Amino acid sequence: MSVAELKKRHVAAMETVDALRERVKQKRQLLLDTDVKSYAKSQGTTPISFGSTDLVCCRTLLGHTGKVYSLDWTPERNRIVSVALDGRLIVWNALTSQKTHAIKLNCPWMRACAFAPNGQSVACGGLDSACSIFNLTSQVDKDGNIPIARVLTGHKGYVFSCQYVPDQETRLITGSGDHTCVLWDVTTGQRISVFGGELPSGHTADVLSVSINSSNSNMFVSGSCDATARLWDTRKASRAVQTFHGHGGDVNSVKFFPDGQRFGTGSDDGTCRLFDMRTGHQLQVYTRQHDANDNDVPIVTSIAFSISGRLFFAGYSNGDCYVWDTLVAEVVLNLGTLQNSHEGRISCLGLAADGSALCTGSWDKNLKIWAFGGHRKVI
Amino acid sequence: MAETADYSFAVEYHGPPLPYDIPKAIPIEIERIPVAAVAPPSASDAAEALPVVHPLTSPLRKAAPTPAVEHAAAAAAAAAASPTSVIENHAVMDGPDAEAGSSGLLGSSSCLDRSAELTEGGVESSGPVGSSLPDRISTESALSLEFDFRSSASENDDDDDDDDEGVAPHAKKALVTFQSSAQSSGSASPAVGLARQRREEFELRGKKGACYHCLKGSRFAEKEACLVCDAKYCSGCVLRAMGSMPEGRKCVSCIGFPVLESKRERLGKCSRMLRRLLSSPEIELAMKAEKNCEANQLRPEDIFVNGKKLTPEELVLLQNCSCPPPKLKPGYYWYDKVSGFWGKEGHKPHKIITAHLNVGGSLDSRASNGNTGIFINGREITKAELQMLKWAGVQCAGNPHFWLNADGTYQEEGQKNIKGQIWGKPIMKLLCPVLSLPTPTKAANSNGDEVIDMVRAIPDYLEQRTVQKMLLVGLHGSGTSTIIKQAKFLYRGVPFSNDERQDIKVIIQSNIYSYLAILLEGREMFEEESLAERRNSCQHCPSGNYESDDCNRVTDYSFSPRLRELSDWLLKVMASGNLDTSFPTYACEYAPLVEELWNDAAIQATYRRRSELLMLPITASYFLERVVDISRMEYEPSDKDILYADRITSSNGIACTDFSFGPLACDGHAIDGDQQDMLLRYQLIRIHTKGLGQNCKWLDMFEDIKIVLFCIALSDYDEYYEDPNGVLINKMIESKRLFENLVTHPTFEEMNFLLILNKFDLLEQKIDTSPLTICEWFSDFNPVVSRNQPSNTRNPNSGATMAQQAFHHIAVKFKRLFSSITGRRLYVTWTNGLAQDTVDAALRYGREILIWEEEKPIFGSSESIYSTEPSSYSN
Repeated sequence: MSVAELKKRHVAAMETVDALRERVKQKRQLLLDTDVKSYAKSQGTTPISFGSTDLVCCRTLLGHTGKVYSLDWTPERNRIVSVALDGRLIVWNALTSQKTHAIKLNCPWMRACAFAPNGQSVACGGLDSACSIFNLTSQVDKDGNIPIARVLTGHKGYVFSCQYVPDQETRLITGSGDHTCVLWDVTTGQRISVFGGELPSGHTADVLSVSINSSNSNMFVSGSCDATARLWDTRKASRAVQTFHGHGGDVNSVKFFPDGQRFGTGSDDGTCRLFDMRTGHQLQVYTRQHDANDNDVPIVTSIAFSISGRLFFAGYSNGDCYVWDTLVAEVVLNLGTLQNSHEGRISCLGLAADGSALCTGSWDKNLKIWAFGGHRKVI
Repeated sequence: MAETADYSFAVEYHGPPLPYDIPKAIPIEIERIPVAAVAPPSASDAAEALPVVHPLTSPLRKAAPTPAVEHAAAAAAAAAASPTSVIENHAVMDGPDAEAGSSGLLGSSSCLDRSAELTEGGVESSGPVGSSLPDRISTESALSLEFDFRSSASENDDDDDDDDEGVAPHAKKALVTFQSSAQSSGSASPAVGLARQRREEFELRGKKGACYHCLKGSRFAEKEACLVCDAKYCSGCVLRAMGSMPEGRKCVSCIGFPVLESKRERLGKCSRMLRRLLSSPEIELAMKAEKNCEANQLRPEDIFVNGKKLTPEELVLLQNCSCPPPKLKPGYYWYDKVSGFWGKEGHKPHKIITAHLNVGGSLDSRASNGNTGIFINGREITKAELQMLKWAGVQCAGNPHFWLNADGTYQEEGQKNIKGQIWGKPIMKLLCPVLSLPTPTKAANSNGDEVIDMVRAIPDYLEQRTVQKMLLVGLHGSGTSTIIKQAKFLYRGVPFSNDERQDIKVIIQSNIYSYLAILLEGREMFEEESLAERRNSCQHCPSGNYESDDCNRVTDYSFSPRLRELSDWLLKVMASGNLDTSFPTYACEYAPLVEELWNDAAIQATYRRRSELLMLPITASYFLERVVDISRMEYEPSDKDILYADRITSSNGIACTDFSFGPLACDGHAIDGDQQDMLLRYQLIRIHTKGLGQNCKWLDMFEDIKIVLFCIALSDYDEYYEDPNGVLINKMIESKRLFENLVTHPTFEEMNFLLILNKFDLLEQKIDTSPLTICEWFSDFNPVVSRNQPSNTRNPNSGATMAQQAFHHIAVKFKRLFSSITGRRLYVTWTNGLAQDTVDAALRYGREILIWEEEKPIFGSSESIYSTEPSSYSN
């Protein structure tokens, strides 16, 4: 068979695939009788009301001298790790707002950081295509730096995200610019499995974000520059369990819903979406009507769900941070307009494990901790 | 002219000459002050007459802390408890309305007091020389300026606050003051003003000695004071008032301001109270920040040595020499560079510091205000020193002029012979303290290696400021990694450490295996090809029988079974893509076989046809010719090997190297900017375009770079690569696409671009066989072809070779493209990655551009100085 013939066949096959995809999409549209918003409305759900003082900035963590790119909480909710463009990884005590560790990194261009479930070590990854692990309990050297405990190398592209598997100290999942996600064994530094890459069901562009299901740590979801989110099972690295289309731009952030049955995404197209794992459907689009000039839609950089999932927080590139009511799909509060809000793009945000506080990191070099007002219970 | 006549009274000054240059600064400030200072007093006069101007707003601000007194205990406990508890606390404090009646009185009184403050400020500023502060005379007027801004700002603030009283009143106020004072601070130091204002503000609120935040406690309670404004906080409030202490113990509103000189001693020394509140690593980091952050350092412009302001570099030099002046404070000093004597202006020497430091101006003869008529190194010495000289046995009759060296030897001015040693007698070390004169320490005498020490000791904050970052971008194969390697060889004493060389060795060795694998693959291909040919020819001749068929199987490219084993293994490993991981274990095992393999006739035959193997890089032959040497265990890569080797810098996504241009740069400007150059470091950052993606997702991380060096291989114009969809794309067009992408990226909006056209040597080789017009973008290339012999091509129009013309054409294309997108000028240069001098020239050109760009605003529209037409080049 000649090359030309093969190519012709390939083109024909691709066309068929596209046509089938379109049909699936249409079929889905037909089957999708409602979305979250209209169902909630029909049930008479009203949006949660927020006063301007119900969620306030109670701590400002000053100390980075560059744009903050990533943050993570410890499970015991009192410490935060952050990395910024000043080449420092800082561990904060969220209660006193003091630094407990400030580690100077070899490579200042870091994109991701994570706390281990036991709070003893932190991981960070960035443009050096590796994920560095620091053991916080280890001895500091004469410059006050903590030596790198282990470097996870093997990615062929930049590491954009990393997260520890919640119930296993030694497992870590990274998402990288080489289109793959990797499950690592931290103690040996070896790759356990690689998700995507050569596989036909893998991402076709950089993986920007990963989120591990907290109720079933074998499942994780990844968001990518190919505008899709993919669901993976760590026990079966051979193929993606499911692919979720819908976004019109890079998926910058994915986060599991607290019940582990669905997940939210935030994208370059300025929308957040809620997808359901069981049906594979998109449940709801969260978007705000913007002014006429469409090309200036602020992109969603990061999202996080409240402890119940009723609310979720979305950081935008223009410095806004919306609090969405997940059910009625309305913005109930904009942290960007509150007192003491950030002056730059919100680059990352995360909720404390008990849901009592939200931490936001911004390009204005600061991190801020927001907490619910005293008379309001955590939702 | 009429205007200058009006102001001419200012020029008339007949007083004695002042040793410092205040008269210049003051008139400027006078012009500015009356506008700001006079107006507010008149406004406040009105306020004084009518206290009802802010009847609602002021009480609120003042009243808010009052309930806080009642709940202070709760607040103190809550501060350290949890993030949420703070809010609860505010909820408790929610009702200041109850206090409204009583606070009305408070408010009006505060209004009065404020106006008093204002008039005070006005009075101070109207006197041109505020003499209350000896160290900073000219700052006084700016202080009162800042003062007015602040109070007006806080009034505005009050208006805004009406609706939401639940949010921390102190923190909010702090935010506003911080911004407004930052606006007005300018060059003068507002620290002192802040301190005084904070104290005054506080004194009207609460009793003396109480905590500034909760207004509770006596003067005996343990408190921590802000280093800038001296506000004192009790243990319950200190963390809230000082936040996360990015610059140590400062109120949130004081961050960024210089510390009080009186508190400089306490920098980095932590109080017991803080130790109790915070854990030890927290304390350690806060104190480290306090000592090392830029705002807390001595400011070089406050220190005068021999009547000249220090530059930041001179201050670093002074503080990091082996024997620095002790407890340096702002002020006027004299420094004898020859002998190392150091003292306050108008006083006898205080200390002998390291000599020969290049700081400050030249020593004045009256620097120490001596009246003995005897001079040491051009300075008239004091009586105490004269006494010392007498004790040392120096002949002082006839008011001699001495040269005193750092080692204590002295000679008379204008004479060669050394007359003696001042410190020769051991008794001198005992006698000098009696006169409170300094004696030399051991460290002061060594002065040879100062400079090297100093460079190492550059503090962190300065380093961050002085690093100029250059971003090197280019498609794969454009030679960016060669350039970064060349930069290491050029500017670093030790380009590669031993560990790095070890890694490089492994990389080169595994490279050679991959080259071999490509050859083996090629061999298989050629073998099949020739077999197929034979078969074809066999079919044509019907006489073929089985025996001849057997011998036909052996071709030029056939192998012995032993080698086939190695070949199969290597190809299998390559196919699985984990050569790097499995290589070290097999390398020793197969090393002896490599020689045999290389010498095999089949491989040699394949190697001769290497031009047909597209996968084989050009540099491969450099290594393959020496494959036997390289595959040995004891092989050590030479510099040239490192330069030629692939994958050394690209193994990681990002590579960067720090360097400073050597002293070679002494051309014109570098002479006066010598010291600056020493501190100025460059960082060359090379990023991998493979990871750039379509929308350059992470380019925003490179906002702080100064220039983009965009690298293109000149030889790309007739080369193609296959994109994922199987379409052949010209590499030059691909480079152009990437270039456009970068230039239009919002992060690089105002960025300078230097286009490096690399691999000029390859262009020269191939330009004659493969015309430039092969690339459709250059289809209008119309070289001036000289019909004469090459020896005669020196005519003015076409003095350039074909390759140079091609280079110019490509450069012009890119320049036009760049200016059509940005309207600015693109800088272009050429290099030949393997030739060190061309890379050096290109990087130095990059530095020149940075310097031009810095100077541009000074010269205004200096565009015309550097010609902007597209036909100017750097070579």
